[in-house]
Amino acid sequence: MTAEGRRRRAVWQILLFSAGLLVLTVISAGSVYLVNKARDDNKWVVHTLEVENQLNTLLLEIRRAESGARGYLLTQEPNFKADHDKAVAAIVPALDRITRLTGDNPAQRESIEKLSAAIETRLAQFSQEMVYVRQGQVDKAAALVREAAAVDTTSLISSVAGAMIQEEERLFRLRTTNADRSQTFAASMTGIGSGLVVLLAAISIWLVRRSAQARDDAEARLRDANVNLEAIVDERTGDLREANDEIQRFAYIVSHDLRSPLVNIMGFTSELEELGKDIFRRIGGLTGVPAGGPPVDVAEIPLKDADKQMSADFSEALGFIKSSIARMDRLISAILNLTREGRREFQPERIDTRDFIEAIVSSLAHQAAEAQAEIHIEPLPNIVSDRLALEQIFSNLIDNAIKYLKNGVPGEIRIRGRTKLGYAIFEISDNGRGIDSRDHQRIFDLFRRAGTQDKPGQGIGLAHVRALVRRLGGTMSVSSELNAGSTFTITLPINWNASNRNADR
Amino acid sequence: MTLPVTIIMIEDDEGHARLIERNIRRSGVNNEIVSFTNGTSAIKHLFGPDGTGLAQKGNALLVLLDLNLPDMSGIDILKQIKENKYLKASPVVVLTTTDDSQEIKRCYELGCNVYITKPVNYENFANAIRQLGLFFSVIQVPPAAP
Repeated sequence: MTAEGRRRRAVWQILLFSAGLLVLTVISAGSVYLVNKARDDNKWVVHTLEVENQLNTLLLEIRRAESGARGYLLTQEPNFKADHDKAVAAIVPALDRITRLTGDNPAQRESIEKLSAAIETRLAQFSQEMVYVRQGQVDKAAALVREAAAVDTTSLISSVAGAMIQEEERLFRLRTTNADRSQTFAASMTGIGSGLVVLLAAISIWLVRRSAQARDDAEARLRDANVNLEAIVDERTGDLREANDEIQRFAYIVSHDLRSPLVNIMGFTSELEELGKDIFRRIGGLTGVPAGGPPVDVAEIPLKDADKQMSADFSEALGFIKSSIARMDRLISAILNLTREGRREFQPERIDTRDFIEAIVSSLAHQAAEAQAEIHIEPLPNIVSDRLALEQIFSNLIDNAIKYLKNGVPGEIRIRGRTKLGYAIFEISDNGRGIDSRDHQRIFDLFRRAGTQDKPGQGIGLAHVRALVRRLGGTMSVSSELNAGSTFTITLPINWNASNRNADR
Repeated sequence: MTLPVTIIMIEDDEGHARLIERNIRRSGVNNEIVSFTNGTSAIKHLFGPDGTGLAQKGNALLVLLDLNLPDMSGIDILKQIKENKYLKASPVVVLTTTDDSQEIKRCYELGCNVYITKPVNYENFANAIRQLGLFFSVIQVPPAAP
């Protein structure tokens, strides 16, 4: 799985999630809106039904008043009168309610006005009838009834009310349809939305499962790679170890075998030297003794100028050969010592660093006094390491610090220590002549030195120290400027144990 | 001294052999020196054609041995000499460039009488050989087993 593919899939997931969220929001908003609309529609349906109901009630009350009035007219029984009065009392409130309910519909309002007028006329007739009946003028009342029938106030009321009822029924149908449509719409919207959400969820699940699969694959590959890596590291370590051993053996054998011819060169050069002396003595004997004179001891005969020169050249040549051999021998010895050090097994032990350093410093006290150097030892962390190796490291560094002080300036050498993350860090600083930053790497190379060459030395110390520090699992570095002193920093594991290095060997 | 001691020198480097011989002579030792430049011929001489060492029975020998030989290790020769009943009494001087402490220890363990590292410095070298010559002159080489 490429990085591009991973990125694309992540984008897809975000898009899907956003789409799902959007759909849910739309569905929710739509549902709320549609539910509200359905409720409104239903309210209107109920409203229509109520109007119808009220209209019917009104008509009923008018009928009741009519029949009550007629009954009273025929029989003059107060029962009918009461009935009629009750009905009449109910008519006006019913009419008022209808007026209020239909206030929103202009067509119905017109009808209501007509209806009100007719009802008022009818009510007036009723009260007139009642007055006549009470006065006993039943004929007049009957005439009025007939007149009302003739003018057809009652049927007018009926027809207007009927029209209104029809109107309301039309509205009822219309509103019912509306309400139904709203509900259907809401239902289908919820249905489609849910389907969409389910679909998006399914796609998401599929994507998640696919990336989980990819992750599992990657993990498996990583595990394989780790296992492989370990095997490779083991293999390489083995190779390195072998190569290192090979180099050690090689250096050892080479330096030995180089030494053998050197013994001959040196030996026969010395023989030649002796021979040369003899030869020049003989020359002197041959040329310097006057013929016929008494025999003289050859050693005492002075050479002539040309022969003297020849003798001097001879000695000079031999001198160069001998000093070169001596130098070569020292180098070979140094290599031998280094390889021997490299093959030595370290023995870790607990070291009281302060006592240890003090012992080294006191063994160098003579040199320090000669160089007018003061050595300060600050608190040092104790460590577990190889005593001999540490001794070589510190005595080399302190010895160097004493050796390369500035002429005429009292030396001040400080040894500091601290710990950090399982490592002990030691610093050996001086106020000596310092090292040019160009030479910071060079001073650690075998047989290389830096600065003024006014002190004896082979250029081995620091190379050796660094090799030891590395073998002890540490690092070392220098910070210095010319004429401004040097600080050598050594970082060593606080607990060096044989397994992390000796096991390698 | 009933029998003159013969010095057997096993040294592959002819230059070294010559230098050793000269310095031995300079120290006044005039014993016969028999030189070998490889291990095989030296073994043949020491142990005879039958390899038992019977050939040298009764001879007083002193062996000068180099450890780095082209055909075998001087250590092996040392071991064989010290394991042979006719030769084991003969002093063996190991004279070699190897100054490895393990090697020196090994030689002494195997019965070497003197171990000398060839110094490159000629004065030291000559000195060491002359000391060895003095040593030869005072050493009582035991009469070989009858």
